[in-house]
Amino acid sequence: MSEILLDVQDLTHCFRLGRNRVLRAVDGISFQLRKGEIFGLVGESGSGKSTAAKCIMNILHPTAGKIRYLGINTCDPRQFRSHKKFLQISRQIIFQDSTSSLNPRMTVADIITEPLMIHHIRPPRGSLRAEAAYQLKCVGMDPGYLDKHPAELSGGQRQRVAIARSLGMGPELLVADEPIASLDVSIQAQMINLFKHLQQEHGFTFLFIAHDLAVVRYLCDRVGVMFQGKLVETGPVGEVFSHPLHPYTQALLSAIPIPDPRRERKRIPQFFDSTAFDREGQLREVSPGHMVFQKGDKL
Amino acid sequence: MDERFILVGARTPLPPPPPEKKWYAGKPVFSMVVLAVIISGCLGCELFIPKDPVYMDLFHAVESPGREFWFGTDTMGRDIFSMIWFGGRVSLAIGFLSTAISTFLAILFGAASGLAPRWLDELLMRLTEIFLSIPSLLLIILLQAILGKAGVLSISLVIGVTGWTSMAKVVRSEVRRLRNSEYVLASRCMGAGFFHVLLRHLAPNFFSSIMFMVVMNVRSAIAAESTLSFIGLGLPLEIISWGSMLSLSEKALLSEAWWIILIPGAFLVATMLCVTSIGNWLRGESGQKSGNL
Amino acid sequence: MRQKNPFLYYGRKLLGFAVSVFLLSLVVFCTARLAPGDPLVSYYGDRAEKMTPQEREQAEARLGLDEPIHVQYVRWLENAACGNFGISYKYKTDVISVIAGRLPNTLILGGTAFLLIFAGALALGALCAWNEENFLDRTVCKVGTIVSCIPEFWLSLVLILVFAVQLRWLPSSGAYTIGGGGLADRAVHLILPLTVTAAGHLWYYAYMIRNKLLEEIRSDYVLLAKAKGLSRRAVLFQHCLRGVLPTYLSLMAISVPHILGGTYIVETVFSYPGIGTLSYESARYQDYNLLMLLCLISGSVVILCNILAQIISEWIDPRMRSGEPPEVTKHG
Repeated sequence: MSEILLDVQDLTHCFRLGRNRVLRAVDGISFQLRKGEIFGLVGESGSGKSTAAKCIMNILHPTAGKIRYLGINTCDPRQFRSHKKFLQISRQIIFQDSTSSLNPRMTVADIITEPLMIHHIRPPRGSLRAEAAYQLKCVGMDPGYLDKHPAELSGGQRQRVAIARSLGMGPELLVADEPIASLDVSIQAQMINLFKHLQQEHGFTFLFIAHDLAVVRYLCDRVGVMFQGKLVETGPVGEVFSHPLHPYTQALLSAIPIPDPRRERKRIPQFFDSTAFDREGQLREVSPGHMVFQKGDKL
Repeated sequence: MDERFILVGARTPLPPPPPEKKWYAGKPVFSMVVLAVIISGCLGCELFIPKDPVYMDLFHAVESPGREFWFGTDTMGRDIFSMIWFGGRVSLAIGFLSTAISTFLAILFGAASGLAPRWLDELLMRLTEIFLSIPSLLLIILLQAILGKAGVLSISLVIGVTGWTSMAKVVRSEVRRLRNSEYVLASRCMGAGFFHVLLRHLAPNFFSSIMFMVVMNVRSAIAAESTLSFIGLGLPLEIISWGSMLSLSEKALLSEAWWIILIPGAFLVATMLCVTSIGNWLRGESGQKSGNL
Repeated sequence: MRQKNPFLYYGRKLLGFAVSVFLLSLVVFCTARLAPGDPLVSYYGDRAEKMTPQEREQAEARLGLDEPIHVQYVRWLENAACGNFGISYKYKTDVISVIAGRLPNTLILGGTAFLLIFAGALALGALCAWNEENFLDRTVCKVGTIVSCIPEFWLSLVLILVFAVQLRWLPSSGAYTIGGGGLADRAVHLILPLTVTAAGHLWYYAYMIRNKLLEEIRSDYVLLAKAKGLSRRAVLFQHCLRGVLPTYLSLMAISVPHILGGTYIVETVFSYPGIGTLSYESARYQDYNLLMLLCLISGSVVILCNILAQIISEWIDPRMRSGEPPEVTKHG
């Protein structure tokens, strides 16, 4: 077992809606990321995955709970400030929509080298331009794109530029907030392979947020399933996918289409009644590393 | 079996391609040329002006336009033709300088207000409103009283400080629109500071929408300088500008010397017209709808 | 999100007005006190320079100039609440009575100009919209652009030169002939200042109304009205003008400060005895009590007009009332 990189404890984030209505987008979730692993966070839209990611990246301030990154409590403003530069360099995020996460008026070269400029880092490969060209090559793009603007690129290329920008800093932790959701299927496959390849090469820890279970199964080492702000099940990918214990996980897994028409016809999607979801309870370990959200002994 | 597959519409000829647009189509060429002539004439006036613009030739005071004095002389015997080109420098310099000051203030204030939390934004906007509510003439008078003796710099400062509010409002609303875009978020996540976000991300995006206001600000700054100098709160007579030339008009009215009033004024109005038509063209270019107060 | 209680709504607007005026008074007071210039000189004239230090101190104590600034401000505020704004150093009388003597002149000039501008702008705007992109429309727009580029003081000078100096038809300055003159005399004196004030603003507002009308003409309900068989004229006058009315009203409210500023300069050129010349004089002679009240009056008028415009535009478009959607707060 390798060292714990990120430790999320009872993370809660509430949005105020109007005067006295509060939405608990993330409700007391806890999980750990070990160095060098790929952790997938799945759940339907609105289940709080992105909010959790934003809390981890200090974009949102959590209402309650602790986030420890290599022992630094990033939710504490004092500790955050004293390690600001380190945190900003070693944690990077990739957003879902690459169209809006790249400034339409900057060139690809400027976009990729922006973090270097912000932190006044001397480019390791000589000039900023050479560094941008190298990073672009790493994500499988031709350096001829350096002077293009985001509007001139395809969706997949834009997302590659966004990846190149975050990898340029050599991050320890990479958070990807549904990085493939806005791409079409053939490109999704390319991107997944790219992520896998890059992770093997750079060895960063990867928090991968998705709503596509097949992708998570292929890419991730461990997985966490979220539902209505709660983490309902977490464990190694193989274990969770072969023995899903929580009814929501079972429903999710039963919804995966099978690429075999004969078996696909026999597939019975399960239905999960969200009104029956009991918010009281906690994660219990049922087998080594496999935890399920339950109340008392029953699910 | 041709009849079974009739290509509908395939036979209709394509409309002829639109004629190639000339590079100057739709551009205010005339205004640009006139403005270029005025600006270059003012900058290089030493090369061609026949008289010393500051020399007071009391024997030739209030002389009407003629062979020796092309545009006549003013009540102090200075050659108006030379003064116009020489003084145009000062007027244009004040126009550009005070616009630079207002633009700087507007961007700083608008961006700060746009990026600030709700309460601070509200406070800043309330302050702007109060600032706006003091009639600009009175504000200028007060500022002038504080700054003391008027010179080119102090007048530019006064005009610049009073003319930034409407631009700041536009900057603020643009920044509020842009600030939640993900590239700003990403940049902040990477640790970018206020000025980095402002210069690299916000300014390039809102610049096109304030370009028109910047140009119009040049116009109103030139007008403000002449008005101030005319009523005696701006530049003194010794510093020649179009405004300070016009401040002799009261005396000129008594001696019915129309050239002292009409000629510098015509230059002033011509410059302002050229700037306005360029500004209107820019507004059309940026696609901003006209008619929003 | 409609406000349920109209009292609460207008109460909040009123409170906003009060706070703004209070802050305005604070700003004005501080600026006036910190501005250079010796008020003693403007009060006692040359005598102030010959005063012994003791006499100076006594004089300062009499005028209340020796105390710290916040004490002065509080006392000024107390007096102001009782309607006592101090004495004009230059005119040696109550500030209010000085202003009261001049205010009617400015009101006549500004008010008439205001009415002229808005009647004219509506007529001209409708005319242009009726003849859209015609010769008439284009001419009006061109003339408007040119006139709006002419500084008001220069336009005044040209008009004086032509009508007062060359043709001798109209008087060049003042509000009435000294030593007499009835209503007709006043009217004659008003013609030139009024022309300049109206000409400077008319085109801009006419242009705004024209654009708004054209926008209105492009909307679907006009198509429906035409499909019903209404004539062009009936559509324009019965439907489009009604649609433009709210914009027209809020334009009127917003325009007040601009027109006010315009009359200030025009008054100065024509030596018209109004608020404008008075504020110019008071600044020149560093008569701060007078200047402060003048700033306060015109500032309050402007704030009031802004609030009026805001109320009108919120009444047109309730979306303006509720703020923006809840925003994401940033940390780090």
